[in-house]
Amino acid sequence: MVVHKGRKVVNKGSKVSDKEAVKDAEIEDLDVEVSDQDLESEDLDVEDSDQDLESEDLDVEVSDQDLKSEDLDVEVSDQDSESEEDEGDAKPNAPPQKAVYDRAGLLDKLGDVSWPENVEWLHKLTLNFSQEKEVDVNDDLNRELAFYTQALDSTREAFMKFESMDMPFLRPSDYYAEMVKSDNHMEKVRGRLLAEKRRIEEAEERRKARENKKMSKDIQAQKLRERAKEKKNEIESVKKWRKQRQQSGFAGNGKDTDIGLSFEDGNTFERSNKKRPGVHPGDRSGGKARQGAGKGKPGADKKRKGRDFKESKYGFGGRKGMKKQNTAETTNDMRDFSKSFSKNKKRKT
Amino acid sequence: MKKVGKKRKHAETIPEPKKELVAEERPKRTLLGWKDKPVVNENEAVAPTFRNKEKVLITSSRRINYRYRHLMLNLVSLLPHCKKDSKVESKATKGATLNELVELRSCSSCLFFECRKHKDLYLWMTKSPSGPSIKFLVNAVHTMEELKLTGNHLNGSRPLLSFTTNFDKDAHWKLIKEMITQIFGTPKDHRKQKPYYDHVFVFSIVDGHIWFRNYQISCPHTGADKIDRGGLEKMTLIEVGPRFCLNPIKIFGGSFGGPTLYENPLYISPNQIRALEKKKKSGKFAQKVKAKTRRRMHEMSNPLEQDEFADMWKD
Repeated sequence: MVVHKGRKVVNKGSKVSDKEAVKDAEIEDLDVEVSDQDLESEDLDVEDSDQDLESEDLDVEVSDQDLKSEDLDVEVSDQDSESEEDEGDAKPNAPPQKAVYDRAGLLDKLGDVSWPENVEWLHKLTLNFSQEKEVDVNDDLNRELAFYTQALDSTREAFMKFESMDMPFLRPSDYYAEMVKSDNHMEKVRGRLLAEKRRIEEAEERRKARENKKMSKDIQAQKLRERAKEKKNEIESVKKWRKQRQQSGFAGNGKDTDIGLSFEDGNTFERSNKKRPGVHPGDRSGGKARQGAGKGKPGADKKRKGRDFKESKYGFGGRKGMKKQNTAETTNDMRDFSKSFSKNKKRKT
Repeated sequence: MKKVGKKRKHAETIPEPKKELVAEERPKRTLLGWKDKPVVNENEAVAPTFRNKEKVLITSSRRINYRYRHLMLNLVSLLPHCKKDSKVESKATKGATLNELVELRSCSSCLFFECRKHKDLYLWMTKSPSGPSIKFLVNAVHTMEELKLTGNHLNGSRPLLSFTTNFDKDAHWKLIKEMITQIFGTPKDHRKQKPYYDHVFVFSIVDGHIWFRNYQISCPHTGADKIDRGGLEKMTLIEVGPRFCLNPIKIFGGSFGGPTLYENPLYISPNQIRALEKKKKSGKFAQKVKAKTRRRMHEMSNPLEQDEFADMWKD
């Protein structure tokens, strides 16, 4: 069936060429055949279409060759049948029909060349490695991995042998000798490695910064939410307290109110000790001066005399105004009054 | 062949070999008198001591590409038992010239890098003077200069040769393996050889091609020559290069010629591949013309029916 088609096509082609009166009839014929087959390959059987593809696009890639050449073999046999009927339009790039394989000659030569049988392994240093599974040549990564594992396996085997022979085989760390690659070259290699590492790090940093930027929005939003929630809680608690007071008919003038109120533990109305970000050290609302005062620890006094405090008070940074005015804290701060006066008073009474 | 073996005093082997040699000569004297125990090579009686005296001539054809030349130089640096020679004109009589050259340099084998058209590299691997010789096509060349290959090893340490087991499958692979073992292995006790083993050559047949890799062995150890299991496990390899891939084309009986013993049926020459590509590209215009004429033919053979409403809107 295939052959018939082919012939028909050729005839058609020749007709065309007659009409067109193109110069080289033979070449035309061939070309026409190829192109037409291509176009009509739908009705040919699958094998044939494969062939077409094959003959058309032989890839340069080494790796594909095996598969391809198998196909080529098929093609050859088909061509034979074709050429018998169709006076041989064999393609120019068919492989040799019969490849020479002189097994006896090869073995003979092998015998001539090879070393005597009982040569020590140390002369040869050959190792055999059986590859369990087929390696796909096109898959670069797997192929290289296969080579690597082969090398690693063989090396292990060899080292075991060396060890059993009890001979030195590892290079001591103080053995220096000429290397295959010069120091100059190795310097270049190292430079490249470092450059690559740096590039990766930089990229990583950039990525992180980008992500942080995205995250910062989230963080801000979360803070706002938290603040709103806190405020709401406080309002709730105040309402609750009011209600309770109303229920108890304003009976307790102060002592009853302590019960079960969350803000009563003293935390709610106190400002947090945390230093607020972006506030100058001298600022009363959250600077260093405030921190020292707010703590009220015994160590705080000492700290006040420190350089930091002085700087915050008299000089560097922060808002300069309002510094000397009283605040809630300074009015409550009774440390400056002499104690002896009060003591005397107490004694007298 | 010079015999060097462990010299040992042997009592049993005195009579036969001594007779012809020493009969005329005076027995050797020592300070204290006659030397009565003769020194006889131990292995001589059993089998001649084997000594690998392989020397490889490495040369290339004229007009070789720089990349391939670098590959050749890499191999020169990897094989301490080789001799490099100047370029040889690649013409029909190169076989005779090369044979002569090999003999002149008293080498026993030859690696000849033949570059054609500045792009195709063929490698001849030859035993001299009586053959055989193998012709390879070399692809996928990476030289040692590439900065990706970061390993390094001693210049002249003997390589371990690792083969896949499919080298033992067929006669021609066996022959190739033997040749590679002899040519790429550094002879034991060669004068340029360095002690210790710190690199491994990998020869692997994948897809009918022989792939070559060279790895440095880096093994953590503590000065002593013992490595425990952990050391073996921790061992890593770093690629040194070069890389190449050999596609066997033919095996000849003689050196640079002789009867063909093997021919690769799957081999397609790079010229053919290029020609095919070109041809594939070239057909475009012709195809277009063909398509046009065919269309015209088709239209002529199946004319459209006259449209009865064609002149409906004319007036």
